[in-house]
Amino acid sequence: MADFARAQLNRQRTNAALFLGPAVVLLVCFFVAPVIVDLVLAFTDMDRTLAVTTLTLDNFVRMFTRDSRLLASLAVTAIFVLSTLAAFNVTFALLLALTTTALPKAFGGFFQAVWLLPRMSPSVVYALLWAWVVDPNERGLLNQILVHVLGVAPIDLRGNQPLLVIILANGFIGASLGMIIFTSAIRSIPEHLFHAARADGAGPLAVVRHIVFPALRWPISYMTIHQTLSLLVSFEYILLITGGGPFYDTTVFSLYAYRRAFENGQYAYGAALSLILIVIGVIAALGMWRLMDMRRLLQAPRIEVH
Amino acid sequence: MPADTAGTPIAPPLRLDWTKLAQRARLKRGAGQSALLAFLLLVSLPIILPYFWMVVISFTARSGGVSTDVLWTACAVVAPAVLIYTVVHIAAPSPRLRLVAGVVIFVIGAALLAALVGGQLHFANYRFLWNPNIVEEIRSKATAGGQFPSVWIAFRNSLALALSQTVIILAVASLAGYYISRFAFRGREAFLQGMLVLHAFPAMTLIIPIFLILHWVGLLDTIIGVMLVLATIELPFYVFVMKGFFDGVPWDIEMSAMTDGATRRQAFRMVVLPQVRVGLIAVAVFAFIRAWEEYIFVRTMLIENTNWVMSLYLFWVSDDIMGVDYGIVAAVSVFYVLPSLLLYVFCQRYLTQMTIGGIRG
Repeated sequence: MADFARAQLNRQRTNAALFLGPAVVLLVCFFVAPVIVDLVLAFTDMDRTLAVTTLTLDNFVRMFTRDSRLLASLAVTAIFVLSTLAAFNVTFALLLALTTTALPKAFGGFFQAVWLLPRMSPSVVYALLWAWVVDPNERGLLNQILVHVLGVAPIDLRGNQPLLVIILANGFIGASLGMIIFTSAIRSIPEHLFHAARADGAGPLAVVRHIVFPALRWPISYMTIHQTLSLLVSFEYILLITGGGPFYDTTVFSLYAYRRAFENGQYAYGAALSLILIVIGVIAALGMWRLMDMRRLLQAPRIEVH
Repeated sequence: MPADTAGTPIAPPLRLDWTKLAQRARLKRGAGQSALLAFLLLVSLPIILPYFWMVVISFTARSGGVSTDVLWTACAVVAPAVLIYTVVHIAAPSPRLRLVAGVVIFVIGAALLAALVGGQLHFANYRFLWNPNIVEEIRSKATAGGQFPSVWIAFRNSLALALSQTVIILAVASLAGYYISRFAFRGREAFLQGMLVLHAFPAMTLIIPIFLILHWVGLLDTIIGVMLVLATIELPFYVFVMKGFFDGVPWDIEMSAMTDGATRRQAFRMVVLPQVRVGLIAVAVFAFIRAWEEYIFVRTMLIENTNWVMSLYLFWVSDDIMGVDYGIVAAVSVFYVLPSLLLYVFCQRYLTQMTIGGIRG
């Protein structure tokens, strides 16, 4: 009997190692370890030489007292995140979901595919297209329309309104994720609710207000947190389109940490800045899994045989 | 309704012209839908136009400038064609008529395009495919030569990165997904919650420590290092996707396999895995596309030009010759976009099957 129990325990262990082992090893090496490294690094003085000489609090002192550029980048971050979120990732995504689901499937599907195009095409290509569109000379797409259609002088949008450019560029991508999630939420509303509402005399707007919105409350709050976090930490398109410039005008917080580390070689300071983002990330992640369908996700498995 | 009106006298029956009412309702509906279509078309133009432009100039632009007449001529042909077809699609109920109209409009449009801009078509912008020294040729004075690798080296690196990452993710995520879907083990709940936090956690914030770790273990500037990193930071997402697919497989299938004498591992390999084929395809396609388009991590961790992937190749080409030659940059872009776009178009029905905790993505 003892032998049997031991054999079973052994099998359980090898099963765990076999099935879960690879994932755990990878996650510990390249996900958990970096968090710890960053935590330590933030309290060192590592610079371009990649050597650590002392443990210090200097990075945080600098962050809170001496770094005036950091304040400016925080302001840019706030404007960037809030306006992209408010204009595109939630509002416009909602508008897209509502309009595409109101159309026949062929048309709705077509426009959803169009809006997914930027998300599915590589970021460098997407950024290049924006560079073309806002090209300050007369060959830029925007300027051609301005000059030939509207008859006004060409403008340099990237030079004069760089923040607007990165908000638009991120927004056109961000809207598609919300669109997909809201669309699937709308499509999962039972059809008979719409019929009942119409039979009771509700117009299209009343249907949206009383049938669609209540079903979207949860997806909207999820998307808001998710997109806030992802806008806060992702700087890919900003780096590609404006490079954080001109000067530091479009350098959001996450890009600021990146530039400090990889442009100025101040790895420790970059790590300290990242640490703030990591803390925000963990908090938001905890907040988000409260919104997930936890009960179903954690439902205990029924087959116990190993 | 009858309960409400029971007490009140019944109104005299109205004389309703049902056909007229139906006609008006149809008209109103048509107008509403047209308005929606017009709105969507208008807001989608900023996306459609640049992509269209990219394709057009990759086939027409010549060195030193970019003739945008071609773009507008092409638009003048394509836009009415699409509009006419839309009207036909709405008005004509039978699919056969739609097909015929579509073919006719397509042929007319293609003929017009060929007549108007056909003379300007050329493939010279795609010469980067067989001429590795393209950038040096264009900027002969600025660069000393040998700086740009052949595009095929970048293509090979991208392919190697994307394929190996796909294989790693498929293997690791399906094993782990199956385990957390089916096995009870101590700390399962804590493990799942930890995975959920990792899934929601923005890995981009870890780029500095990841860079240093790769440097310390000697994997910096290698495809293998980037591959491991990219596979790992996306892993929690795919584990949950696979768990979702495994959850959807009925227990009875496994149970009956095991009563027939299969071990747990055999049941997994021979009975359950074939059941989640759709999930495996979806994960593979998605992982491939994600790896194919990656930029920030490869930009930070791949330095040597023989390690360049397509995104870096395109970036440096555009960085070097953007102002001089739009055509080649556009051609490289088209070449780079094509694989992921084709995959996306052909595998879309698999991708829409992915769910995480009730969220489709």
